[in-house]
Amino acid sequence: MKRRSGDATTWLLGGATGLCLATLVALLGFLSVAGLEPLWPARVSELQLRDGQVLLGEIVAVEDGSIALRTSEIDRIGEAYRRISKTDIVARSQPTDAIAITLIDGRQLFGRDRGPSADALSDSASKPAAVLDTLHPNALGFFSRSGVFLRNVGRFLGTSPSSSNLAGGVLPALIGTVVLVLLMSIMVMPLGVATAIYLHQRRGVGVRFVRSAINTLAGVPSIVYGVLGLGLFVHGIGAGIDRWFYADRLPVPTFGSGGLLWAALTLALLTVPVVVVSVEEGLARIPASLRDGSLALGATRDETLWRLLLPAARPALLTGLILAIARAAGAVAPLMLVGVVKLAPALPIDGSFPYLHPSRQFMHLGFAVYDTALASSDTIRGVPRAYACAALLVAVVIALNLSAILLRNRLRERYRSLEN
Amino acid sequence: MPVDPPTCDPFLSPDFIRSGARARLRRGSLLALLVNTGTMLVLAGLMAIPLFLVARLLPWAALSDLDWQGLCLLLGGTLRAAACAVFVAVPLGLAVAMFTAHFCAPRLRAWIKPALEILDAVPTVVLGLIAVATIAPWLKIHVATVLSLIVLLPAVLLTAGMAFGARIRNAGWLPLWLLPLLIAVVAVAVTICARHDAVAIVPSSPWNAALVGLALGFASLPLVFSVAEDALFLVPRAHTQAAFALGATRWQALTSVLLPAAGSGLVAATMLGVSRCLGETMIVLMASGNTPVGGFDPLIGLRSISAGLALGMPEAAPASSAYRSLFLAALILLLLTLSLSALAEIVRERLRRRLRAGAHAA
Amino acid sequence: MLSTVPASTSSSPANAPITRRVELALRTEALSAWYGPRQALDDINLDVPAHRITALVGPSGCGKSSLLRCLNRLNDEIVDCRVSGRVLVGQIDAYAKDTIVHDLRRSVGMVFQRPNPFPLSVHDNVAYGLRLLGIKRRRELDERIEAALKAATLWDEVASRLDDSALSLSLGQQQRLVIARAIAVEPEILLLDEPGSALDPAATLRFEELLHELARRHTIVLVTHNMQQAARVSDFTAFLHQGRLIEFGDTDALFTNPLQRQTEDFITGRYG
Repeated sequence: MKRRSGDATTWLLGGATGLCLATLVALLGFLSVAGLEPLWPARVSELQLRDGQVLLGEIVAVEDGSIALRTSEIDRIGEAYRRISKTDIVARSQPTDAIAITLIDGRQLFGRDRGPSADALSDSASKPAAVLDTLHPNALGFFSRSGVFLRNVGRFLGTSPSSSNLAGGVLPALIGTVVLVLLMSIMVMPLGVATAIYLHQRRGVGVRFVRSAINTLAGVPSIVYGVLGLGLFVHGIGAGIDRWFYADRLPVPTFGSGGLLWAALTLALLTVPVVVVSVEEGLARIPASLRDGSLALGATRDETLWRLLLPAARPALLTGLILAIARAAGAVAPLMLVGVVKLAPALPIDGSFPYLHPSRQFMHLGFAVYDTALASSDTIRGVPRAYACAALLVAVVIALNLSAILLRNRLRERYRSLEN
Repeated sequence: MPVDPPTCDPFLSPDFIRSGARARLRRGSLLALLVNTGTMLVLAGLMAIPLFLVARLLPWAALSDLDWQGLCLLLGGTLRAAACAVFVAVPLGLAVAMFTAHFCAPRLRAWIKPALEILDAVPTVVLGLIAVATIAPWLKIHVATVLSLIVLLPAVLLTAGMAFGARIRNAGWLPLWLLPLLIAVVAVAVTICARHDAVAIVPSSPWNAALVGLALGFASLPLVFSVAEDALFLVPRAHTQAAFALGATRWQALTSVLLPAAGSGLVAATMLGVSRCLGETMIVLMASGNTPVGGFDPLIGLRSISAGLALGMPEAAPASSAYRSLFLAALILLLLTLSLSALAEIVRERLRRRLRAGAHAA
Repeated sequence: MLSTVPASTSSSPANAPITRRVELALRTEALSAWYGPRQALDDINLDVPAHRITALVGPSGCGKSSLLRCLNRLNDEIVDCRVSGRVLVGQIDAYAKDTIVHDLRRSVGMVFQRPNPFPLSVHDNVAYGLRLLGIKRRRELDERIEAALKAATLWDEVASRLDDSALSLSLGQQQRLVIARAIAVEPEILLLDEPGSALDPAATLRFEELLHELARRHTIVLVTHNMQQAARVSDFTAFLHQGRLIEFGDTDALFTNPLQRQTEDFITGRYG
């Protein structure tokens, strides 16, 4: 009987494990579908209603008793949703000659070849805008559809947003994320490596104190780092810099408001423990015989560290950097306090001197997910867009993490032969 | 008695110091200076957090101006969200850790660990998005389904284990074999509860603590798992081997050797998981509805300290009462999480020392 | 400066009288060492003759390796290790306050039990010590690396693969590589800590031939647990037991006619 209850509980543990794995797979699968779907060219449907009306548009949601349809947006984006009860529909079809026109500002117009021409359609919009592309989405075969999809992906990655983030691409957010993370890496690596060396090399009370401080503070919520960033960096140091160096521009703040520099500094503080743990582990993994060998050749301890241990721990340094980047790329909450914005007027990096503008506000992929999903005027368009941003973010973060995992495994393999 | 010094070549006479030998030492001290400076900077930055928060609250006399009632609502919201999340993260995390450390086939273990690291790496803003955009509309009409699954899944697993457990010698790949069963149970529960005559529980808000708990629980699960798994895996193999040699089953070895030895590690994992749930921001911000209401109902909305900070901080004017109230909230959050993680750290350090000593003895 | 003194002094009565007069490279006086509370070496007085091979033998745990690590102060790296007494290397007191440790270690090379090539190329392994000395010119480096590899009888095998990772060499090659690395910086004394224990018989034979070659230019102190090896290659042998120097003398004399009962028991295989 005891044996049986043991088996049963084992199954419970196994089932929990299976459930977690299944959820993870479902999560990633769902994200990739939901993230790519908005870029896949949708079909255009024609609905004939009971009252004789004929509507042309894209079906955006099908619920129990009704269908949500987006028809031509003549005036502005997000204005032309129609909810139609299923009982009112006489016929549904997807005519092959249906045209979908996408305008530069994200509005979509629908028509058919035998109706007004594409140009006439776009002219009929009360606010004319340049046409981005014209498609016959129902007539596309799989391969041409994929071609359109790839073009959409390219546009998504390579252009700026329009209509307050509801259309266009995410290039500025991508650039903002990358520049932010690079700046953070430049700050965090020397600090993290120095601390790791300290922990590796020294003995005594200081080491124990530093180690427990880092272990404990690694558990501090990221939003608290954001509070520190806002209160100390922005309102403290930043306001001080403004008073001393940019007094002529006051009361318009330069460094006294959230910006790239303070965000990077906040994230650097947030990710220091990640780097320290990883580098210290890497240093500890190097067999003692190598260190002895170097010392026996007449190297000082510091020469041993600099010429042998640090180069040998390069994969660990890289692992630490990658993990820090992955953590920073996913951290959104602290950024909301230190300078991330929905739409930045200028990129933090451009062709005018000094090329990198650390005081500028910036856009961020993670914040775009939050903002487009929750704060946009057109949630039916916003949510799929947020999913596209989320899929991009997750792809980047997971790629970084996977490379860190692979690197770490390689490092372990490499020194296994030297151990014992 | 005086001894002549041994002699050989003059190369080693004390007057002869090879050129550069002292310069190399000096260069070394420069490196040491850099290391010290870097460490001190990191330490200063990290220690600045609590000191700075306290300093911002000064003067103490004006503390009564602060919005204490709002603070209580925020704190209540934080605790309610964390309680719901812990309900998901801790049982699942510990179960997966126990399975992975003790029962799992090594090849499966080599996959599970990175898989959960990947789950840990998924930005919480993404989990928040999924919660608010996809799960919330579904959960709004399926609270009963979820409740029935919470009862049904363990019941079915336990019964199946009772019935067929003895036939399967090696539980190493159990999670994959059980997948069809899990999927079947979920499918049955969903179909039954989707029928019109099924009991329906309608939450007062689609964005509520239960929704937050579901997403937040999955976000903190990897942390609970990795801490607990590390602790269990640290127990020397020799101990469990000894239990097997005495005729214990795998399950008995777990309960009689592993859990007593590494139990404090599981406690530490739970504490770290709670700490993580308390401080997480994006999921709560997106899925909680941000309505500062009190009470213990998991089906109503809430607003947590972290979400309050993220929303209120950028708008509050420096030095205003609202600004200082938020600093107080941040300080409370910091103290809560810090004490939990410091406690967990102490427990883990003790466990590590004990198990290391045990490994040497073995 | 050059003078000769008897290889053994009257301070250690157990020593066999050595009548030959040889130069000394190294001398320990009342050397004791502790690891934490455990005493590893107890009052060791040992004179190591220059340009000879001196073997340290004894049962495992007798302190041979500890003694070796005292001679180049590698014990400094062990946190709870304490040393008292004197170690004279040439004319330098190794444990004097103003001794520059890394300079001392440059003069006292060491080869470890298991080959420990750095995870660098073959070339950079040998260049490592030379670069520490500030040698940067490519030609000088290459010349000295070639000389060291030739002296370690490794040159013919690796001449074409100097840029390969040292970890790709065979164990015997790795052992000769770390010897080349050690002699590249031209130490006067070479400490070898059971260097043959990781090698197969053929590689061991080669290695022993190499030792004789090396002894022409270096003073060699060899720790070994292999009595046959000690008898084959060394000129002098010191027998240690439980941290004490029991007997020291000419290898042939010590092996054929040990003065101490413990030595006799050990070399006849009664224990150890």
